[in-house]
Amino acid sequence: MTSADRPPPGGGAAEAVPPPPGAAVWLFLFRLVGAIAIPIGAFYLLWITFDFLRSSDANRALVVLVAIVVGSGGVFLLYLAMNRAVDLLPATLREGVRPWIFVGPALVLLSVFLVYPVINTILLSFKDAHSKAFVGLDNFKFVFTDESMLRSIRNTLGWMILVPLVATATGLAFATLADRLRRGEAVAKSVIFLPLAISFAGASITWRLVYSFRPEGFGSNIGLLNGVMIGLGQNPVDWLTQHPWNNLYLMVIMVWMQTGFAMVVLSAAIKAIPAEIIEAARIDGASEWQVFRRIMVPTILPTIVVVATYMVINALKVFDIVFVMGNTEANGTEVVAERMIHWFFIGGNYGRGAAIAVVLFIAVIPVMVWNVRRFREEEAIR
Amino acid sequence: MSIETIERREVEGLPPTESPPKGVGEGGRGGWFPRIVILVVAILWLIPAVGVLITSFREPDLVKTTGWWTVFAHPFQIGQWTLANYRTALDSGGLGNAFMNSLAVTIPSTVIPITIAAFAAYAFSWMEFKGRYILFVTVVGLLVVPLQMALIPILKLYVNGGIWFDRRVFPDLHLNGTFLAVWLAHTGFGLPLAIYLLRNYIGSLPSSIIESAQIDGADHFTIFWRLIVPLSVPALAAFAIFQFLWVWNDLLVAYVFLGGTKDVQVLTLALASLNGFAGETWHLLTAAAFISMVLPLIVFFSLQKYFVRGLTAGAVKG
Amino acid sequence: MRRSRLSIPLAVALLIAAACSTSSSSSGGSASGGPTEENTGKVNILSAVDPKEGKSIQGQVLDPDINDAQSDYTVELEADGNFEQDVKIRAQAGTLDLAMLPQPGALADLVATGNAVSMEDMGFDIGQLEATFGKPFMDLGVVDGKHYEIPTNINLKSMIWYPKDDFDKAGYTVPKTWDELMALSDQIVADGGTPWCAGFQSEGSSGWPATDWMEDIMLRTAGPDTYDKWVKHEIPFNDPAVLTAAQDFGGVMFHPNYVLGGAANTASLAFGDAPLPMFDTPPGCWLHRQASFIPAFFPETAKAGVDYDWFPFPSMDTEGGPLFGGEVMMAFRNAPEVKDALERFSGTEVQCGMGGYVGSSRISPNVNVSNDCYADQILKDSSDVLKAGLTSGSARFDASDLMPPSVGQGSEWTGMIKYMQQGPDSIQGILDDIEASWPSS
Repeated sequence: MTSADRPPPGGGAAEAVPPPPGAAVWLFLFRLVGAIAIPIGAFYLLWITFDFLRSSDANRALVVLVAIVVGSGGVFLLYLAMNRAVDLLPATLREGVRPWIFVGPALVLLSVFLVYPVINTILLSFKDAHSKAFVGLDNFKFVFTDESMLRSIRNTLGWMILVPLVATATGLAFATLADRLRRGEAVAKSVIFLPLAISFAGASITWRLVYSFRPEGFGSNIGLLNGVMIGLGQNPVDWLTQHPWNNLYLMVIMVWMQTGFAMVVLSAAIKAIPAEIIEAARIDGASEWQVFRRIMVPTILPTIVVVATYMVINALKVFDIVFVMGNTEANGTEVVAERMIHWFFIGGNYGRGAAIAVVLFIAVIPVMVWNVRRFREEEAIR
Repeated sequence: MSIETIERREVEGLPPTESPPKGVGEGGRGGWFPRIVILVVAILWLIPAVGVLITSFREPDLVKTTGWWTVFAHPFQIGQWTLANYRTALDSGGLGNAFMNSLAVTIPSTVIPITIAAFAAYAFSWMEFKGRYILFVTVVGLLVVPLQMALIPILKLYVNGGIWFDRRVFPDLHLNGTFLAVWLAHTGFGLPLAIYLLRNYIGSLPSSIIESAQIDGADHFTIFWRLIVPLSVPALAAFAIFQFLWVWNDLLVAYVFLGGTKDVQVLTLALASLNGFAGETWHLLTAAAFISMVLPLIVFFSLQKYFVRGLTAGAVKG
Repeated sequence: MRRSRLSIPLAVALLIAAACSTSSSSSGGSASGGPTEENTGKVNILSAVDPKEGKSIQGQVLDPDINDAQSDYTVELEADGNFEQDVKIRAQAGTLDLAMLPQPGALADLVATGNAVSMEDMGFDIGQLEATFGKPFMDLGVVDGKHYEIPTNINLKSMIWYPKDDFDKAGYTVPKTWDELMALSDQIVADGGTPWCAGFQSEGSSGWPATDWMEDIMLRTAGPDTYDKWVKHEIPFNDPAVLTAAQDFGGVMFHPNYVLGGAANTASLAFGDAPLPMFDTPPGCWLHRQASFIPAFFPETAKAGVDYDWFPFPSMDTEGGPLFGGEVMMAFRNAPEVKDALERFSGTEVQCGMGGYVGSSRISPNVNVSNDCYADQILKDSSDVLKAGLTSGSARFDASDLMPPSVGQGSEWTGMIKYMQQGPDSIQGILDDIEASWPSS
């Protein structure tokens, strides 16, 4: 897009000098045709290619290439087309409609892929095991009376507090300190980032190689921690059955996997702090700690909030780590989302599974209220 | 600073950054403290991964009988090392095809949500419309929806369309088993985080630059595309990395919406077929873990250069 | 101008509508039996077999015997490590053709919420199926008077493995009764050895090897009839008969000299690691009770019939036994190629082939499959034991696989782990807890 075909300004405050009338008509018609052709063309093109992608006879490499190009480029084309269509609306409507062009696609997708399943889940939570009859609040009564459920709620609270705290703090410290390295910042950061890149199957093997336990007589221990224990002359320990500490051992896995997220996001925020602000503080004689405490943290506070919120929600949803590392009920390591999966997919009770999911939805409300507050404060001062 | 400044930079092909070069005036403040802390944390983080790396190069029988750290006792004993685990993993069949499928799933599933989320994040930050706060917070709240609860309803929509009281409310598009189905699903599931992260970043840009661009007569689309997107590159790159990783390592969504048969399976699924009974194939799983990590690490390193200081530095002075 | 503005959304809407209208499908009502849908040319089979086994079945049996034998469709077996979850998702959404269920107890849930098609609706002759697979097997899949499965595989669980060469050298003999087995255990202790190895840890499924142990005893002390009542919850889970069986099991596990590493460690020991000390010199333990698949975990150098062998779990007070597990196949799409695939898969040729590849542990429930089909002596012998038990009516399917999944793959597994961890006195409370967890409907 060059500046020549930039659409006329919205507010109309700084209207340019009108071009000669004849040219204006032609220009307008030209635009109109383009504006109509673009959305139609875009949709049509996309649809044809999807049909092409569906035919399994086509050459695989070609299908993949077309898929990548169309999938990635097509979406921008659609925005461009919709924006053009809005430009053709009467000026009074234009700026009222345009925000919805910007957020519309996101809202539509979210409604289909997340809001609709939420409503579906809420409905299921009031029905019986096979979603046949309504059972009132029975499933919720189960959630708050079952011994294993109550333990899972307690454990999840621990996850929600400890994991975000440790992961965010470590990520922030690491991002801040790595920022000062003269050399090797990228290498240092990639070490913390590494666990993010590993697949979940890979991560679970990784930690089995740490926690693995074999009793006396069944060969030497191949878990690192027990290797250390034996090196220290101690007996090997079955770490994952040591209630309540096994909860902490499992949290370590999540911290290991998620700190990279905090580090990357916070590092990007630190980089965005104007260097001259920090320099000015240093020239004024502020210590490094004061710079960190008084300038960096307040400046990136919104980002810290984002990271912490994301971590809290992720800890609330944690399930696979707990699930693959042993029998949760026997070890006392149940968490809420793991119970949800258990009842939904193994225990054969959709009602209970859904009710647990609804509890998750409700648990997130306080976090969201806090976010709204921050959101408003932030906008007030910018 | 006005919109023209930034445009000129782009036209001249200059990277829009290059304010104070990294290290100047601050590099000297490193000292021993950061280095030691970083070293300690990095070693803690590396140890488990090193165990996996070493295991992937060991003979299967040794993996089962001795700890991986025992190799340090005699690291040059050739017999204990092997490449056979990687060979077996790579020979497991259909890996090339699975790699292509993974690419076809992952690239659009990364680009689409970023595009959609960036537009939405801009609107949530800088456009006035009714219900802005409540919509935004609802979007963020959707982060909590467990993926597993969405799979069945979405798959039903894909397979049957939506039927509500015998009325068709959602067309039956025969989407299941197509790439589009997976892209849309990953987009839907990835949007809350994308919008949240990007709005945080875009919303924190100084209002002065947007106002000055508006005075210059730029409309929202232009401001977004010419000003906001270039300024948001670090945030976009950060989210791109996460979404790429998440989609690349995902097994469930691709399996459910694309399928598990040989012709359509993605890399994670193909590598999962190396898994035998529990504990039987650690030597293969560790090798598989590293094979599937290659591309994500390349992506991380190549996007690393966008995390640089001072993208907005010039803009603030305005 | 006004018209053209309107025409944009209109054109888009028309395009979408056109794209959608081509694809409205209506599932017609089913006549009495027989396929109701068109042939799509592809049949998928979802299974929980491990991927290595899946590859063997696909390459050595399904491709030659089904895909190459006809041209109407191709069948592909998916070996899914996440079977329990995926089968529910796909059954509900309707992207599943056939599923090989390792736990028939989950069948009722799938029928209740999924799109399962009964064998009657598929057009099968139930009488003929009962003649081929036996009525008890077909009865496993009855929901509301209709049959929903065909058994496609069984494997023997009542097997006790021992290090044959050392065993013979020590002059031990294979016990025929429980008392002889206990006498042998005492003899081994007296000789300075440890008789048993046991490990019940299996990641998220920890506990299942212990339930097998306990069920083997239950079937032999309480008898098949009481066992059936237990499975169907006609007697409670904390019934004295169950308590007796659990205590007999505990008698072995908690005996101070019987179990290598002690009972508490069995809960932490991976079931695949458990048999390994048998292959030490001298053997770290001499006896290991586990199903027919366990040789996959033995050292690669160990030879069947030389380094190790097995004997059936001995008889106890009643004529019960042996215990077996298996897979039953359910159908989720009523189409001609699905029916044909199911027919061939359960038919003699394919079933014979599945016992024939190297490393197979699959025995056919199809009575027409002869003993010659099986790849090795262990499989032939276990097939004989199974056939004898099935003929006499004393063989029983693994109880935990038949019970509702919230018990059979939930509270019972957990209960057995806790039993090992907390000791002999905990069993009454554990059985009470399992009883309380039985789903009410």
